[in-house]
Amino acid sequence: MASQTETESGAAYAPLRARRPTDFDLTLPALGLLILFFVLPVAILLTRSVTEPQPGLGNYAELLGSSTYLRIFANTFIVSGLVTFVSLLIGFPVAWALAIMPSRIASIVFAILLLSMWTNLLARTYAWMVLLQRTGVINKVLIGIGLIDKPLPLVNNLTGVTIGMTYIMLPFIILPLYGVIRKIDPAILQAAALCGATRWQSLVRVLLPLAMPGMAAGALMVFVMSLGYFVTPALLGGTANMMLAELIAQFVQSLVNWGMGGAAALVLLVVTLALYAVQLRFFGTDRMGGR
Amino acid sequence: MLLNFDRLGWWRLALIGITLTTAAFLLLPVLFIAALSFGSSQWLIFPPPGWTLKWYQELLADPRWLESTWTSFQIAIIVTVLSVLLGLVTSFGLTRGRFMFREALKALFLTPMILPVVVLAVALYAFFLQIGLSGTLTGFVISHLVLALPFSILSITNALEGFDKSIEDAAVLCGASPLEARLRVTLPAISHGIFSAAVFSFLTSWDEVVVAIFMSSPTLQTLPVKIWATLRQDLTPVVAAASTLLILLTVLLMVLVAVVRKGLKS
Repeated sequence: MASQTETESGAAYAPLRARRPTDFDLTLPALGLLILFFVLPVAILLTRSVTEPQPGLGNYAELLGSSTYLRIFANTFIVSGLVTFVSLLIGFPVAWALAIMPSRIASIVFAILLLSMWTNLLARTYAWMVLLQRTGVINKVLIGIGLIDKPLPLVNNLTGVTIGMTYIMLPFIILPLYGVIRKIDPAILQAAALCGATRWQSLVRVLLPLAMPGMAAGALMVFVMSLGYFVTPALLGGTANMMLAELIAQFVQSLVNWGMGGAAALVLLVVTLALYAVQLRFFGTDRMGGR
Repeated sequence: MLLNFDRLGWWRLALIGITLTTAAFLLLPVLFIAALSFGSSQWLIFPPPGWTLKWYQELLADPRWLESTWTSFQIAIIVTVLSVLLGLVTSFGLTRGRFMFREALKALFLTPMILPVVVLAVALYAFFLQIGLSGTLTGFVISHLVLALPFSILSITNALEGFDKSIEDAAVLCGASPLEARLRVTLPAISHGIFSAAVFSFLTSWDEVVVAIFMSSPTLQTLPVKIWATLRQDLTPVVAAASTLLILLTVLLMVLVAVVRKGLKS
């Protein structure tokens, strides 16, 4: 009743207020923030790629025509692919184990996963910088057990980036995969066993195909996240393994070349959005953002 | 019988082995840093030749570390408050509103979460240089708010979608105004979502480094930027001490979340 009275008294001001506030209006402040400080700045940056230093597609010609930049693109894909592959290789058995383990042990592993995920990114990267250095623990242990004579170069190269980034990405692949395997009906595998399938046959022909949508979605997400990574490659990689995000930062910070920076940003954006479109098209929206 | 733990045979050992190795792989670096921060070796030799608190003393004696921590804290708190308020209002609009393009709007609100952060960092850096917000606290807050808001909207929208709206309608039928019903009935019911939104927003800002690198100026930098700048020069154990304090904060937050979740359930 109260709301009705309000509406009636509101009608008295009808000339002043063209319409009643709706729930849509509630989204306007956030929409304004996003348009002003997200959509607009990104649009300006991308526009600068075709207007600076002179109008045209010169920046893109330079970016896609130079072997230096093409190597950085290739390297970005190689690192991301490698990280995704290793994460999947380790993540699948772990997610599988977590899905069927006694819950008391599983909850300890989950706590470790969350602790790792929530620990500051720089702290985690710093740990690997120290662990992997020439005089670091890993080299010492490897020499100690007689596996190598001289310290291996583990940091400032592809090995360092792959280890550091896999470390960060593992929880992002384990958690969604766990959800998918959890949902598989054990009776299906029981049926496979009853029909005489060996463990290998059950794994390759039943469990893996059933987990495949989750694996593909998780892998795609890790791949896309890796493509845009900046901090870990910059600290654990060498100059020879520069990635696209570092290139963008370098164009803007050291070279103050906004045109090239904008062009490189557009390349990264287009690839990212294209891969997300694939994910949305084939796997739905429920695993977006890794939550 | 691959989904029955007791009937896996020797595969069970293999799975447990991989899982425990992975758990150790994830946990050990964190513990390692904490141990090193008390080690006396400047060169981070492990196991340390002796134990000391001097890295913590050095950390606390340097005003730049304290200043950057304070800056980070201020920004994170302001971002948390704004992100929760804005997230709350927006989530009500998104879950209750019946308008065209609602799903598209929701997707737009979540985009900052999935786009490469470096693109936003560079774009905002250029924009703030032009409008004079570069290197200011306001600039930091705005850019972190853009990154934190999706997490806030997601948490609160999830909570709102799980809340039975007929309870709110009942309050209105009993004489509450629609606003009153939302504030006094719905808000307490979705407090767990609001709490998650606050924690996620705080951590997003507190831990954020890429945008912060571009926003910072020689006189205004956050803790992650200070760590980043230090790490580019050398691997000093002072960073181990700073990292250990950050890890401690993470553990405290995790415990807080666990306690609050338990409290809300009972």
